[in-house]
Amino acid sequence: MNKSTSSELKDLIITSLNADADAEDVSSKIEEAGVSFDFKEGFGEKVLDRIFAARAVVTREVDFVRSFNLAFYRIALTGVAAIVVLLVSIFLMEGSLSFNSFIGLSNSYDESIVCLLTGN
Amino acid sequence: MLNESYNVTNEIELVKASLAGDKKAFGLIVNRYQKMVARTVKGMLGDSVFAEDIGQEVFIKLYYSLSEFRGDAKLSTYIQKIAVNLTLNEIKRRKRFFSMFSSKGNNEMYEFEVADIDTEERREASEIVNKALLAMDPKFRIIITMRMLQGYSTKETAEILDLPLGTVLSRLSRAQEQLRTILEKL
Repeated sequence: MNKSTSSELKDLIITSLNADADAEDVSSKIEEAGVSFDFKEGFGEKVLDRIFAARAVVTREVDFVRSFNLAFYRIALTGVAAIVVLLVSIFLMEGSLSFNSFIGLSNSYDESIVCLLTGN
Repeated sequence: MLNESYNVTNEIELVKASLAGDKKAFGLIVNRYQKMVARTVKGMLGDSVFAEDIGQEVFIKLYYSLSEFRGDAKLSTYIQKIAVNLTLNEIKRRKRFFSMFSSKGNNEMYEFEVADIDTEERREASEIVNKALLAMDPKFRIIITMRMLQGYSTKETAEILDLPLGTVLSRLSRAQEQLRTILEKL
């Protein structure tokens, strides 16, 4: 680059910072002078790969968590239903929901327990 | 790159299609604005691989924040704001890193490659602009990048940088003085 072209470019750069300068016009002149910025070839593909590859992993993880939650809720609901059935059957058989009814001792007399435990 | 003949040209429609997971629509947004982002990122950080990474981050951040874009401002302004924020954060991060691990000057923070430019004249022009920009204080450099490389008016510059117009004008004048001194030495 010869001296005059170089000083022209420098003047252009300085002029672009005048508050009343037509910045759009100056920037296109600067670009014409050879000052151009762009990303390397394949930039767009790299961006899309990074976004959509990451999204696929996230989607798989979300699917796993969703299935896991669903399985957990099903197991929990089955458990609750079993407990309810158990309580109802205890109540029907023993006539109450006392602690003794739970452990199956509501109809036993103290003597029979001693007999049961000692074998005499 | 992706095919520009894609029939959706309206920005809002492109955004909606991208939000619906249309890779091609988002590819068009990247294609349309990558040069604009390159000017901001490379003007601020130098023409290096780090700038390429930050450029990618800009579009990744854009993708994940597209749902917040209401269309009140132009999409280009929205992208430009993301680019400015990420670039300034990167400069702060580098400054912290270099102040901790290096006793050398700030020039170590930046690098630029102009080897793949076709003619000697264009290469030298790029070198002058890069050297001048990277020698500037970042708060002035961002103003110069917006004006000189992006061609924004002072009002648009103020809007993108979230600064009062008066601040932009005073920084512009101080940047011009600093730039004149730097260019005299080149």
